[in-house]
Amino acid sequence: MELFDNLLMGLSTALELNNLGLCLIGVLIGTAIGVLPGIGPIPTVALLLPFTFGLSPPGAMIMLAGIFYGAQYGGSTTAILVNVPGETSSVVTCIDGHEMAKQGKAGTALAIAALASFFAGTLATVVIALLSVPLSVLALKFTAVEYFSLLVLGLIAAVVLAHGSVAKSLAMVLLGLLLGLVGIDVSSGAARMTFGVAELSDGLDFVPVAMGLFGLGEIIANLERPAERRVLSQSVRSLIPSRADLRAAFPAMVRGTALGSVLGVLPGGGAALPPFSSYALEKKLAKDPSRFGKGAIEGVAGPEAANNAGAQTSFIPLLTLGIPANALMALMIGALMMQGIQPGPQIMTEQPKLVWGVIASMWVGNLMLLVINLPLIGLWVSMLKIPYRLLFPAIVLFCCIGTYGIANSLFNVWLMLGCAGIGYFFIKVGVEPAPLLLGLVLGPQLEENFRRAMLLSEGDFSVFLTRPISAVLLGIVALLLLALLSPTILRNRKAALAEAS
Amino acid sequence: MTRSRIDWQDLLFGLFLVAVAAATLVATRNLTVGSTADMGPGYMPRVVSLALLAFGLFFCGRGIRRAGMAIEPVQLRPLLAILGGVAIFALTAERLGLAIASVITVLLASFATREGRLYETVPFALLLSAAAVLLFVKVLALPVPVWPR
Repeated sequence: MELFDNLLMGLSTALELNNLGLCLIGVLIGTAIGVLPGIGPIPTVALLLPFTFGLSPPGAMIMLAGIFYGAQYGGSTTAILVNVPGETSSVVTCIDGHEMAKQGKAGTALAIAALASFFAGTLATVVIALLSVPLSVLALKFTAVEYFSLLVLGLIAAVVLAHGSVAKSLAMVLLGLLLGLVGIDVSSGAARMTFGVAELSDGLDFVPVAMGLFGLGEIIANLERPAERRVLSQSVRSLIPSRADLRAAFPAMVRGTALGSVLGVLPGGGAALPPFSSYALEKKLAKDPSRFGKGAIEGVAGPEAANNAGAQTSFIPLLTLGIPANALMALMIGALMMQGIQPGPQIMTEQPKLVWGVIASMWVGNLMLLVINLPLIGLWVSMLKIPYRLLFPAIVLFCCIGTYGIANSLFNVWLMLGCAGIGYFFIKVGVEPAPLLLGLVLGPQLEENFRRAMLLSEGDFSVFLTRPISAVLLGIVALLLLALLSPTILRNRKAALAEAS
Repeated sequence: MTRSRIDWQDLLFGLFLVAVAAATLVATRNLTVGSTADMGPGYMPRVVSLALLAFGLFFCGRGIRRAGMAIEPVQLRPLLAILGGVAIFALTAERLGLAIASVITVLLASFATREGRLYETVPFALLLSAAAVLLFVKVLALPVPVWPR
């Protein structure tokens, strides 16, 4: 029972006292930013990255992971009580969750959301553990050729499966790759696009880029919209769901977990798409679909399970192959690199304590979240009373200090300023910034593996097709791109994304 | 949402890409490109920026030829206040120290909205500044001066 041993080893790492503490800090911060609309996990993780230097690698990853799945719990609280999604992944929970709250069943909705999340989190942890071993065995066969193809697959799939226009996202990936090239070229020592700036010779730091694009750009765009009024009229009475409620919600939880787990593993997956798919599925399966939108408990349980499962299984590509599935995982790669760990297919064999510690901590963290969220619900609700006009200057300040803190350099603050302007421009022209971050983080590895592969094959491109694993990976890329050209899929994708936004 | 005769979103994004690609090609013109078997430092920048150039021209062309949504007008107040807040932090953090820089940054950023009231913003800025010094300098040991040197 290798799996069992691995999980035990992970559990012993996760249960070390300081890792437990870091996990708690992570899920607390995650819940807080999840509850607060207007601040998401991406800028938060970017902000906290510089302060994970001093931590042990497992501790840092455990905390940062906690922020991500913690945010999924917090997001549903705001969705149910205020009808404003705390996170994009809880948009669907607003529909039936808030309706339940209006009918005086806010407590039931909150409890079901938390239980569904816990259930999904527990099962997703097992899924990760089961899938990790075969994937990492496969990963050991990888050379530069296979790794390059895998990186291409990761980037393309992330673009195809994510929101927005595919052509624009591809352009954004390229833009990210280009930014990733800035700095001293490793093999020749030549300075590329550094414009004589000493700070650029080590390459662009992705923390200021992420904070500028995702954090500050978003704030500026938020402030242009008229301020939304938040009405918190519902009081939370009984938190204990009735037996009938549980019986109605349970099958939806199971289906949501399954759907979320599958969608989360795919590149481009994460917490955003699964809840929409789950909601659509529940509505289709229901005996009386007209109940949806009027407080159907399945409409809360399914999507909540799905977003939590998706959030967790999106760690699988990262932990086994070193490929980020979404922009947040790209930041996680950055966190690993800061710790001096080279992410890649070898990560699982070289860092078993780290990988299994993070996996086991997810279950521990979910247990904490259940306890934190239900009895302490009043605390989180009172956080919602903080108005945005006070919140955003605080975020601006912490972004400034955080960026400065990575290398004690004011250059990074100016870089963040530039990226904030560009991020605002991207929002104005309707382009998603996430692919750029993926390109930026993967760019150096992509170039290095490409050059190494070309060096080995003496400039012969066919090497990517003659090696079986690489050929299969590139075949999937070709299929994905071909599928995009087919009109029916194009239409379906448009419909699915329209429903999602 | 008003419609406009040309797709400004496409056109502007296209122009942006063309500008970035052109700037890269100029900035890396002196780097050795090398051959595919033995790539020089200029190989990847050249390949990527040519691809970006193609994308940029494609978006420009598409933007001119089809109608699109009009871009919501830019509001200068939030844009300038937030960017200004960051800039003032960069200018003052090392000279005036974190305590003072934080207060100015928060005050300036607060101008991004008309909702702010001075009797609320000023004490809040002081509070945040104290919290920032306590958290980042005392707890996380960030090496930044607290007061003017």
